[in-house]
Amino acid sequence: MSGTPPPALELRDLRLAYGATPVLDHVSLSVAAGETLAVLGPSGSGKTSLLYAIAGFAAPAAGEILVGGRLVANSRQSVPPERRDIGFVFQHYALWPHLTALETVAYPMRRRGIGAAEARSRATELLGLMGVAHLDRRRPAQLSGGEQQRVGVARALAREAGLLLLDEPTAHLDVPLRGALMTELAEQRARTGAAAVYATHDVGEALAVADRVAVLGQGRIAQIGEPLEVYERPVDEWVARLTGPASVLEATLTERSGGRATLTIEGGSVTISVDGQAGAGVSRLLVRPDWAALDGPFDATVRAVAYRGPHTDYALDTASGAVQLRADGPPRARAGEAVTWRVRRAWSMGSGR
Amino acid sequence: MLSGALVALVGWPLARLLAEGLGSGPAALAAAVGQGGALAIANSAWTSLLVTVLAVLLGLGGALLTTRWSFPGRRVLAIGVLAPLLVPDFVSAISWTRAYGPAGLSQRILGVELPGLYGPAGIVLVLGAGAVPLAYLVTLAGLRVRAEPDLERAARASGASAWEAFTSVTLPLLWPVLGAAGALVFVISMNAFGVPAVLGRPAGFTTMTTRIYQDLAFSASDAAFLRVIGLAAVLLVVAVSMVALADRLAPDAVARASTGPGPAAARRPAPIWMPILAWAFVVTTVAIPMLALLLTAITRGVGLDPVPPNLTLANFGRVLDRHAVGALANTLILASMASLGSVALAGLALAATRGRWRVRVGSLVTVSFALPGSVLAIAVPLAYGASLRDTLAIIAIAYLAKLWALGHRPLAAVLDRLPPDLTRAARVHGADWWTALRTVTLPVLVPALAAAALLVFVFALHEVTISILLYGPSTATLAVVVLNLQQLGDPTLTAALAVLLTLLVAGIGIVLGLVGRRGSWIGAS
Repeated sequence: MSGTPPPALELRDLRLAYGATPVLDHVSLSVAAGETLAVLGPSGSGKTSLLYAIAGFAAPAAGEILVGGRLVANSRQSVPPERRDIGFVFQHYALWPHLTALETVAYPMRRRGIGAAEARSRATELLGLMGVAHLDRRRPAQLSGGEQQRVGVARALAREAGLLLLDEPTAHLDVPLRGALMTELAEQRARTGAAAVYATHDVGEALAVADRVAVLGQGRIAQIGEPLEVYERPVDEWVARLTGPASVLEATLTERSGGRATLTIEGGSVTISVDGQAGAGVSRLLVRPDWAALDGPFDATVRAVAYRGPHTDYALDTASGAVQLRADGPPRARAGEAVTWRVRRAWSMGSGR
Repeated sequence: MLSGALVALVGWPLARLLAEGLGSGPAALAAAVGQGGALAIANSAWTSLLVTVLAVLLGLGGALLTTRWSFPGRRVLAIGVLAPLLVPDFVSAISWTRAYGPAGLSQRILGVELPGLYGPAGIVLVLGAGAVPLAYLVTLAGLRVRAEPDLERAARASGASAWEAFTSVTLPLLWPVLGAAGALVFVISMNAFGVPAVLGRPAGFTTMTTRIYQDLAFSASDAAFLRVIGLAAVLLVVAVSMVALADRLAPDAVARASTGPGPAAARRPAPIWMPILAWAFVVTTVAIPMLALLLTAITRGVGLDPVPPNLTLANFGRVLDRHAVGALANTLILASMASLGSVALAGLALAATRGRWRVRVGSLVTVSFALPGSVLAIAVPLAYGASLRDTLAIIAIAYLAKLWALGHRPLAAVLDRLPPDLTRAARVHGADWWTALRTVTLPVLVPALAAAALLVFVFALHEVTISILLYGPSTATLAVVVLNLQQLGDPTLTAALAVLLTLLVAGIGIVLGLVGRRGSWIGAS
């Protein structure tokens, strides 16, 4: 099968330290050609450092980095950034204040030895693809945040690299702009066929843009898998809370056949589908808001209600702790009222630590 | 009140100076400046140009080294580069003569001396080395504000080599900063008196400031006085236009780059020759000269080798007995007056103005710092000389006019960053205007007040350009005594007193470095 392209990126047991401070530890992952990997983690988890190591801005203390099948860094040697096949979109845009948008996008092509005239015409084309062709003569100070980041994306695309690194590209944009930019990013990435590593702290973005998600905590990969997997089957409570709204209940499971189990919490019991490390006995269960519903065997008091338009979010106080619940339609109860509820499905994370 | 102080300290003296100069007509003024004056102007200009190039190149190199490269002892070097700030410039010139001049340390040990130390080459070297910290600090600030590491990373990720990233991104962003640093260094070099007085006069090399000194001190003719006025006018125009240029180019003037800080570790490991070269600079320009000066100060006589049997501390006792106790008292009194006065004036100016007016007063005060000491030393007596001649008061007024800006800048910087909501929060929670000032604003300002007072104090301690033109029989300052001793040709006593003065200046300078932010050293930038 010599026709299979090598992975766009491969990290083998990567370790990175700033002085004595370890930043990344035992990070191993692989990104296939054309694949988008989201790196999801809270601030300080090492997302930017991971991208910097891949780009060549920081040298690893141990491990190997391969880009397009070529070894670019290990603990002894490091290929400089300009000779790695990567494009980079910076969190704070990093547009050069002394260059116009057109000059900025032409820059990577000029460095590759493309003539001035052709670089300009291709830069104009890229600015057009990002919808900012009319701003070609402006400098960064004359551009809004969204416009700046579009220029930043065009610059990264101009590199025509096999791997695109995106460091929270929407972190400093307003919510409506984020959606638009993400859509354009996905379109352009699909057009060029480049693989991408997309660092973000926003779980919504990670689940939406990625083929796979790597969850990063304190410099280690806690879990890596498809969006559905990290959302529905997180390896532990920490990942569960990072990958979406999560209620964790302590319940007694009575094992039944076929993946269905009877769940008993104070006040009642229900027989549902429970996946995960479901042994008999006390277990910690993840319940996503849409996995619970109003009406059922359990009692609760409504603590807060938030009407979101298409659906309503309820915060419930139950005998086994706080539960978040999402239901279609307008609110059916007000804060302080007593309601009943049920669990439709759950993910068991074992008996806890 | 405020504008009154500005007018009285700066405006009226300068007006008197201009009236004096223009009173006899521009043609007469030009004639009076004549060939001697023109030669001094040319000498000042070309040496200052070389000083500027030297200091800006070295300052840029130092700033890049300490921000872009990593090597052992980086933080220590970053402080070492600032060491020349702790040595008064004329002391530095004297110390170079003891290290590299005839009968200096290098000649004793290696049998070689620095050719041309007395003369323009020596002036350029000593002034250039002394101006490196200023160029370094301005460039450092510029690098911080303008050349975010992410901008270079973006260039590297776009396919630029390290050198291409430097020439296509870093350098274009830094040009205005380097221009501002150069303009400031040029002004300081043009205004410098101590170094050309020590190194130029023995070689017969005259600059504008030493010409002014010679004409005022040793000539009584009206023509000579007119020449002084003419030269002062030229200095004034150069200083004001250069500082205006620097202010236009300076980092604050430009919209900030839209980038935030990335994580640390942007530094690459430096090849070993880089820190070695930097340390060699610190050692040859500061450490060895100061060591030579110290050895001279503790050796019994000029001709003797600095070996243990010849060492003594008696020189310090002799120099303090004979010359310096009165001068030390004068110096401390003047420095205290200048320090308290300028901080009080700065405080008043800041309290009385807000918004746009604060900015305007701020830039006026800044320009006054660029006023050459020689110009003020001529203008202030023209305005107030009749009653105050030969008193400490006349020197104090000139000091206040000159150093006010030094106190103003650190205070203004803190006040500008003080969120108005702090005071509003105090008021809304029950404090009246005075209580809010006392319990919120002042405590926040205390470090800045202390830094401002110390900064003015330390500058006044080693000021010599003004005091050497204004001192009378009983009002000589320590710096004046050092310079006069040097000209009388007594290296041992000169060295002893210079060491004492440097200890005083460096001691307070180090305290200042601990108290204040390093940024407040950036003089008139």
